[in-house]
Amino acid sequence: MADIIQLTILGLALGGVFALMGSGLSLVFGVMRVVNLAHPALIIAGAYATYWGWRLLGVDPVLMMPFSAALLAVVGIVIYKVFFEKDAASAKYSDLTVLMAFAVAMIVEGALGGMFTNTQRVTSPSYATEAIFIGEIFIPKGQLIAGIISMTIIGSLGLFLKFSRTGYAIRATTQNREAAELLGVNLRFIALLSFAIGIALAGCAGSLVSFVFNFFPAKHWEWIAIMMSLVVLGGMGSILGTVVGALLLSVLASYVGAAAGATWSTMVFFVALFLVLLVRPQGLFGDKSELAS
Amino acid sequence: MSMTFEDSGAVLEARKQYNAKLAQQADKRRAWWFPIAVMALLMVLPALQLVGNYNYLLHMVLFTASYVAMASSWNILGGFTGYISLGHTVFFAIGGYLAGVLLARYGISSLISAPLVGLVAAGFGYLIGLITLRVRGPSFIISSLALLMIVRILFDNWHFIGGANGMALPVTDLGVLWAKVPYYYAMIAIAALTVICAYKIKHSKFGLGLRAISKDEVKAESAGINTRLYKVLAFAFSAFFIAMAGAVWGEYLTYLRPNIFLIILVAANMMLMCILGGKGTIAGPVIGAILLVAFNEFFVAMMGASELNILGTGAIMAAVLLFFPLGVVGTLAKAGKLPRILNWD
Repeated sequence: MADIIQLTILGLALGGVFALMGSGLSLVFGVMRVVNLAHPALIIAGAYATYWGWRLLGVDPVLMMPFSAALLAVVGIVIYKVFFEKDAASAKYSDLTVLMAFAVAMIVEGALGGMFTNTQRVTSPSYATEAIFIGEIFIPKGQLIAGIISMTIIGSLGLFLKFSRTGYAIRATTQNREAAELLGVNLRFIALLSFAIGIALAGCAGSLVSFVFNFFPAKHWEWIAIMMSLVVLGGMGSILGTVVGALLLSVLASYVGAAAGATWSTMVFFVALFLVLLVRPQGLFGDKSELAS
Repeated sequence: MSMTFEDSGAVLEARKQYNAKLAQQADKRRAWWFPIAVMALLMVLPALQLVGNYNYLLHMVLFTASYVAMASSWNILGGFTGYISLGHTVFFAIGGYLAGVLLARYGISSLISAPLVGLVAAGFGYLIGLITLRVRGPSFIISSLALLMIVRILFDNWHFIGGANGMALPVTDLGVLWAKVPYYYAMIAIAALTVICAYKIKHSKFGLGLRAISKDEVKAESAGINTRLYKVLAFAFSAFFIAMAGAVWGEYLTYLRPNIFLIILVAANMMLMCILGGKGTIAGPVIGAILLVAFNEFFVAMMGASELNILGTGAIMAAVLLFFPLGVVGTLAKAGKLPRILNWD
């Protein structure tokens, strides 16, 4: 019994980080219909920004977060302007942009690899290696902190989307582009803004990732499918869905990892992605019309 | 109950004549001699080995031919049918590993087993297609990516085929000068076969159906095309040729490893070559493969680092998508400036 509680806690802590990694992806898809395969590569860029701040200036990874977010937001705006603004009205925009996002992912990976080499990096602030013990159960402090921060950020994003006027406009665009435009929403601005927010979230996630996982530029291929599975399971475009998907799959993965060995635990994400796409392409909280048609 | 019109025979006859006339016109404009001349040149190229060591040249041609086979094959699904797959390296790996196991355990060379291996991979392709082709657009692309990841984990953990460490294959008895030649001819034959089959498919009723699916699947379905069967068959065809290329490539390398066959860069290259040359055309993947190999060699010679190679590949892909979404052949054809020697459609 203690084992199962232990595994659940480890899974939830990891799921909290995955949720933040996936939520930016989900937001961008919801508003712009862009399946941003470059998102994980940009998370790694955020992790590098954090890593060098910690390594060279001794700044705590969590404190590097606003800087990493701002940097990535700027990068996001540039990427949007250069690669994604064209053809936004095209009916095949989603298909076109998947290829484009793939190209951007390769560019980001190549640039990071060229600058920083493919050595594995990790920031190790003191809390990253500590653990809290409650009876027999231990909770790794780094993952706990990362999970809590990630939930706080997603919570504030949710509040922003729910209560601010811009948030209204973003949600309206997600639900129905044409109607939103008719009612006076500036689609171009909303698209740019949500892309910037989505990539800034990648920057935040990068800061957390830097002390939770080892990272190197080519690692993002592994994360693409993991993040896609969370986002697809929850329903693309639904942030709540992404959080639920992340927690669910991470807990499941931690059970499988304990039962069958660590190499098989990521299999949960890929098989889940496959099954969800085939059985219920719209996901748990998604709108059927988006991906299925 | 069937209805017959009195003049239906005459109409059919007239249409047949009209089609024949169109075909004849197309034939007149076609430069048949060009591909034949290229093939003849490639056939006599290994004779250079008699006067010196041109292994590098042979290797480059062989490498390009393998990419031609893979890109043309990918084009059947990605170009004609419009289903973009990022997981087609799975069939490359299935081909390579199956032929490798046959060679290592039973001593059957991939030069003999390649067609059989292709058929097995086509069977896998058919089954996988039945599952993944139920979704389309971004969902299909994502599911193909998931397929690649799943197969990679399976191969990494499958001890019979060496797991992540891979497995070594017996080396050929031929001397240094002639070791490459059998694989050279085999790969060129596979590439030529793929291009010819892609041409045949494009000009058949089947190919017409595939192109209808890529334009508008719902309309194609309502026009009476069995879209599900067509799509799955296209998937199986593209798996067949890629697996044959994989079989020969594996034996040529004498080494099988998941991180040679099952990396996303190879899948990206297949897609990139088609987009670069012109998706859905016959000459496009061939030109794309030649250009990509040339770019690669250039980048490696100039900068050496594999990471900058990835950057270059990505940058070329983005630039082509932004400025020439139709690729070399498509852009030239649209402007009416496609040279006759490249008009293979």
